[in-house]
Order: sequence, then structure tokens, then C-alpha cells
Amino acid sequence: MVTYQLDIWGEMCPIPIIKTQRKLKEMSCGDVLILETDHSCTSRALVVWAREHGHDIKEEEVSNGIWRLELIKKRD
Amino acid sequence: MLKKSQQKLNLGFSIFILLLILLLLQVSVKLALTFAVSLGLGFVLQKSRFCFVSAFRDPLLTGTTKLTEAVILLLAISVPGFAIVYHLAETLNYPLQLYVTPFGIHTFMGGILFGTGMVLAGGCASGVLMRIGEGFAMQMVALGGLLIGVFIGKNSIPFMLSTFYEFPGIFLPDIMGWGPAVALQLFILFVLWKVTRWWQKKQKGFE
Amino acid sequence: MRKELEVIYKGPWAYWVGAVVLAILNIAVLVIRQRPWGITTNMEDWSVWIASKIGLVNDLNLTFQELLVADGTYLNLGIILGAFWATVVASQARFHPIKEGKFAVSALIGGILMGIGARIAYGCNIGLVLNGIASSSLSGWIFMIAVFIGAWMGAKLLLRFLV
Repeated sequence: MVTYQLDIWGEMCPIPIIKTQRKLKEMSCGDVLILETDHSCTSRALVVWAREHGHDIKEEEVSNGIWRLELIKKRD
Repeated sequence: MLKKSQQKLNLGFSIFILLLILLLLQVSVKLALTFAVSLGLGFVLQKSRFCFVSAFRDPLLTGTTKLTEAVILLLAISVPGFAIVYHLAETLNYPLQLYVTPFGIHTFMGGILFGTGMVLAGGCASGVLMRIGEGFAMQMVALGGLLIGVFIGKNSIPFMLSTFYEFPGIFLPDIMGWGPAVALQLFILFVLWKVTRWWQKKQKGFE
Repeated sequence: MRKELEVIYKGPWAYWVGAVVLAILNIAVLVIRQRPWGITTNMEDWSVWIASKIGLVNDLNLTFQELLVADGTYLNLGIILGAFWATVVASQARFHPIKEGKFAVSALIGGILMGIGARIAYGCNIGLVLNGIASSSLSGWIFMIAVFIGAWMGAKLLLRFLV
């Protein structure tokens, strides 16, 4: 199990998801990806996207208007 | 980075809003009510992270269709809702206008420009306003662009009208009656919803 | 129970909940305003007023006082303040600066395209897609198809220049 980080800070909606999609391709099942964003819609969209595609995701508000996401890759 | 409560700010802002509504009540009740409802609209847009851009863009780009389905639901409630309100208003003699506009090739062109622009700006007109409220500098720039664009667009309407023919607005109940018009639109929305579901299954590729 | 209550003011609400509440409020706007909800018509008035103030156009049909009592102004202002309120209630308010210059350029270009498009078609996503279709007007459906094609083109541009 490896933990990866991805910088999506301050980016608007579709870009973080596309970056995540690309990053997930490099990872193997069971790996963890940590994301941090200050964009409420992006955080929500990532959670919905990850659940729809069968990955585990945990959303946590770490500071005022900043969300930390922990995504575990479950399938290819 | 510790999380701080912003309830003091909340209290101050609530008082400011209350005073603003009281001030508007002095002008007219209608204005105050409009303002109160639009506050609600902004609140709901932010809380549910509603985004029309995402509804149009994401099915093709990332394969999520949750928001598209929500927009279809919104339309499916609004179509009969508007029909009922229109009929009630007619029986009660309450003046009411629906939004039926003339159309032509420029409607289509406008849609394509609008669609392209909203993806680049990261929000459609309502999304831009909502994200300004959330404090995004990027959408503040987008609002500046929007004001410039609206000005250009307004002044290009005479050119559009002389270049393209404009058809008068078609109000569907006029040509087929209210019942069939509402039924037809609901049927189209239902088909769109089915297509969206099918598309999502295909994108997920499992289950 | 506390957790469920927290979702109400903290969010995020499910998308379909938002859709239902928005539909109800949208109908409320129609009843109160006697006209459907629209955004860009009022923006046009403001842009003409600003243009006349900086000397781009001479004919000033509307005054500042008229704009201040126009219901469209308060619809737009209400969305901004309502969204701000929603973030403050949840203690999520913060200023979000632009990350890179290219995002500012994209926002400006996108805004201009959106403005032109909204005015030559007589409406935006709210005025023409939502309320045009809800008013059973054919232009709403035409505009919706065009916006879908446009969003696809925009997504291609975004993938090319911003990712």
C-alpha cells in the first residue's frame, strides 16, 4: 500500500476529477490518494464521482472551507 | 490550520440582511419578497452544490450523471408547476407572463457560445453569482467578463436580426393545447432521463 | 440525530433535494414577480448603465434609482448574499484567490462568451433552459441542445489549455 498526494488546490471543477482519473491509472488497487481542496463543489463532485466508480472515499472538513479527501483505489 | 467558528460573522450578517429586507419593505412588499426568495435560491444553490455547468459537461467528460438527473427532475417539476400557476392566475385574474421568446439561428449560436463560455468560466450565470458569494476571485473576474459580454451581445442583436431571420416565439400550448404540451415535454424529459441512466451504466462498466 | 441536523446547515445536500427546493422557489419567484426568474436581462441593464457612465454610450434610458428598485437587481444580489450566508452559517467562508494567471484569462474569456451568447439568445441557463422549457416555449429546447454542444466544445478547450 502506497500513499500518494495530488495537488488540486484552487482548481475549478472538472480539472481535479480529470487529474484524479489520470493519477488513479498509475496506482494499483489498495493504494491511497490524499487530496486537499478549498472548493466545495469540487469536493462534492469528487466524492460522488469516486463512489459511482466504486472507490472508497472519505471526506473531512479540516479547516474553514477546506476539505481533505482520502481515496482508496478499489478497482481498475 | 484550526477550524474557527464564524457564528459572530453569521449574527452580524443576519442582522444586515434583516435591515436590508426592512428597508426594501419601505419601497415595496413585492421587492422585499423577491429578495427574500432569491436569498433562499442562493442558499439552496450553495448548500446542494447545484451546478448547471456540471450537469451539461460531466456526462461526456467524467461520466457522472447525478447532476444531470437532478436538472431533469428540476425541469420535470417546473413544467407542470408553471402550467398550474398559469391556469390559477388566469382564473384569479392575476397578471402573469411566461417567458416565450422568438428564436432563430442566433438562438442556437448563442447557446453554443454560452455553453463554451460557462465551462471556461467555471459557472453559468447563476453559478458565477453563487460562487462570488462563496468568495471565489475567479468568478468575480468572470462576472466582469459577463458584463462586457452582455454589452457586446446587446449591441449585436440588430446585426443578428438583419442577418438571420427570426421566427416568432412558439408557445407549445398554442399549437397543441395545454394537456398534450405538458405531456409531450414530460415524455421528452423521461426519455432524456432514461438515456442518462443508460449512459451512466455504460460509463461505469460494472454492475 | 445531531449529525442529520448538521447536514441541513452544513451541507452538502443531495442533488435531488436541491432540485426539489429550487423548483419550489423558482415557482415562488414566478408568482411574486409575475414573470419567471432571469439573470442576464438585469445584468444587461447594469452593463448599459456602466457603459454610459464611462462614456461608451450616450443614450441613458435608465437611472441609478431605477436600477436600485428593479426586482432583477435584488434577484441577483440575493443569490450572492444567500450563497455567502450559506457558507457563513456552516463556518466555511473564506476568500479564494486565483491559483494561476491562466484561470483568470479563462474566466474573463468565458464570461465574455457567456454574456454574448446569453444576450443574442435572450436568456441564460436559468432564463431560457429552466424557465423557457418550464414556460413550454420551443426556444428553451433549442437553446438547451445548443448549450449541450457548446459545453462539449468548452470541455475540449479546457482539456487542451487548462489541465
